[in-house]
Amino acid sequence: MRILIHLLRSPAGAAGLAMLALTLAATALTPWFSPWDPYALDFGAAMQAPSASHWFGTDNFGRDIFTRVLAGAVFDLRIAVVCVFVPMLAGTMVGLVAGFFGGWVDAALMRLTDVVWAFPFYVLVLAIVGVLGASEANLYIAFFLVNWIGYARIVRGETILIARLEYIEATRVLRFGKLRVLLRHVLPNAVTPALVYAMSDVVLTVQAVAALSFFGLGVQPPAPEWGILIVESIDYMREAPWMTVFPGFAIVWIGIAFSLVGEGLSVALKPKG
Amino acid sequence: MKTRLNFRALLLASTLSLAALSAEAETLRVAMGYDPVSLDPIATSDNGSIWTQLLIYDTLVRPDATGTKLEPGLAESWTVSDDGLTIRFKLRDAKFSDGTPVTAEDVQFSIARAASEESGWGRFYRPITRFEIPNPREIVMHLTEPFTPAFNNLALFAAAILPKAALEAKGAAFFDAPVGSGPFVLKKWTRGASLELVKNPYYWQAGKPAVDEAVLEVVTEPSARVIKLEAGEVDVALDPPLNQLAALKAEPGITTGSVTPYRADFVQLNTRYAPLGNEKVRQALNYAIDKTALIKGVLYGEGTPAASAMPVMAYADPALTPYPYDPAKAKALLAEAGYPEGFEAEMLVDSGIATQRNTAIALQAMLAQVGVKVKIQMLESGTQWETTKAGGYQMSLSYTTSDTIDPDQIIGFVAVNPERANAYHTEWKNERLNALYTQERKTVNGPERGAMFREMIQILHDGAPFLFLYHPATVWAEKDYVKGFSVLPTSNFRLEDVTIAK
Repeated sequence: MRILIHLLRSPAGAAGLAMLALTLAATALTPWFSPWDPYALDFGAAMQAPSASHWFGTDNFGRDIFTRVLAGAVFDLRIAVVCVFVPMLAGTMVGLVAGFFGGWVDAALMRLTDVVWAFPFYVLVLAIVGVLGASEANLYIAFFLVNWIGYARIVRGETILIARLEYIEATRVLRFGKLRVLLRHVLPNAVTPALVYAMSDVVLTVQAVAALSFFGLGVQPPAPEWGILIVESIDYMREAPWMTVFPGFAIVWIGIAFSLVGEGLSVALKPKG
Repeated sequence: MKTRLNFRALLLASTLSLAALSAEAETLRVAMGYDPVSLDPIATSDNGSIWTQLLIYDTLVRPDATGTKLEPGLAESWTVSDDGLTIRFKLRDAKFSDGTPVTAEDVQFSIARAASEESGWGRFYRPITRFEIPNPREIVMHLTEPFTPAFNNLALFAAAILPKAALEAKGAAFFDAPVGSGPFVLKKWTRGASLELVKNPYYWQAGKPAVDEAVLEVVTEPSARVIKLEAGEVDVALDPPLNQLAALKAEPGITTGSVTPYRADFVQLNTRYAPLGNEKVRQALNYAIDKTALIKGVLYGEGTPAASAMPVMAYADPALTPYPYDPAKAKALLAEAGYPEGFEAEMLVDSGIATQRNTAIALQAMLAQVGVKVKIQMLESGTQWETTKAGGYQMSLSYTTSDTIDPDQIIGFVAVNPERANAYHTEWKNERLNALYTQERKTVNGPERGAMFREMIQILHDGAPFLFLYHPATVWAEKDYVKGFSVLPTSNFRLEDVTIAK
């Protein structure tokens, strides 16, 4: 709660949160203010330019792009958030254990991260999706297998630093249980840089999800996922540029929102003194 | 000394004349969406390879521009005996691009090679069991039993005539720099990017080809082909996005052309998948498709509705009408078949072709109206092909094109089981149709054979192992100064008659 108050005090954080809140509200309320069905075809209304009734215009099937972009937010946000926070949880645990216990535990876990790290991110995700097949579920598996590495490394570094601080030394003198020290005294401090990193990771993940769907490796049509909206618009870019521009704008919008929140968080979480 | 000087002068003169020639060399540049795989005619079935091969090699006979009859190729004339068991060809005085003459020996070698075990098209040529060579310019082919498509199959790319000596000397490497008797010779092949062709100086059609060079540029993105045409980087763009056609027609300096080739688009229905094994269900799905809306919304008017999976070609029945759009009847049939609530099915779609993607999305919406929930699975075309071949699919959006003017090739592919592809991997089987197919191949061309084809196509229409969609037109856009370019009903294009009038 204190973090949220700090976050709202920073202009960047407040702006970012406002953008996210607006997006979520618009997405949730779509059925109330848009008369259009994001999936229904109407060839008679194909490729209409933005107007009062179709704010973002219509696509080659006559579907309302504004409604589709909002419906698509559900996909992109859900995938991005799940693909960041689940691996973040796992990566944080790995980093904590590795940094706190050190020795062969640390060596073994860090060599594992090295192995995954050695492959370029997209090559690895492409390979995983290629083997398992393209679907939303497999997209999760691919991101889970890859995305935890960054968090494991960040949290491990922080943990090593924190473990040497005096107050942790003090817990040893007091003979606190290791688990208690780890979870109550190390974790809250070690996790803050990971949280900041997660914000920019969400941005990158939205882009990655859109890019994979663009190549037919992610979510499948007719889901109005933003990458799909863009790939479907390619051949119409010259006559109906709104088909490409607005989904692209949506990706940029969400990217800016999360970046601002990340910026705000890094300020809010900076140790005072 | 004197002779040496002469030789030098000659060399100099020829270099100069070559330079002069190349200065005014006319090059035709064509952007196509297919990337040729191989130039070995017996090893390929992809359009990019086939079209390129037909520019480099000749066949004995070839489909004419109307696609209704065969015209002389390397064979000047021919006679087919009344029983259809003997085909006699008289070869024209033609040379391969290396200057060696085309002989009956080369013809026998090429046809025997096309019939061999390593050939993907072997069963098209195996009925020819014996060759006889009375003289180097004449060849007689003997069949042991009647096989009507035999003559037609000699017009197929797989029966391209190759130089025996050169191929035997080089082996597989021959196809990296092939020698043929066709209008063009391969100069340079940059895989995935372009094929540079130069005119064959020994080509048998005097004065042709009109252009000195032809470059086939592989541009897989349809919009990019159009942009290249507008920018003047190519002279012809094949298959522009259909939605851009109206705008292209209006552009000064650009003309568009369109032909309806021998092609049919459809959805393969795997009859081994429970709901699709039921004929009523398959017919219901056909009633649920609004083909008129598909042609308007996806093909932008460039196509006609299809009544079967057969292209409209020789022996087609003009009275056979497509399934009308009738969702009420579709629902009734589904209920009769025991699926009043519909069912779920997965449809494989080639992710690389915009029209296919759009058709799939439209089909999904139309089938949802009658309760059939379709899940689209976008795949790379090779994977889609392998998956349907292995039988592990439910529905797959596909098409077929005929490389010959005789319907035997395609009926054997889409309707006969097992024959070539288990009725194009639908596993649908009709004994009456199978029997007609065997009979048709022994019946000489004429009304009797035509009646057999019409009955087969009617059975295919009623059995509906496919969702019959449409016959799309093949479209191209070209600069005004390109004259004489056209796509043939067999989907390939010839360039020997094309001129550039700048």
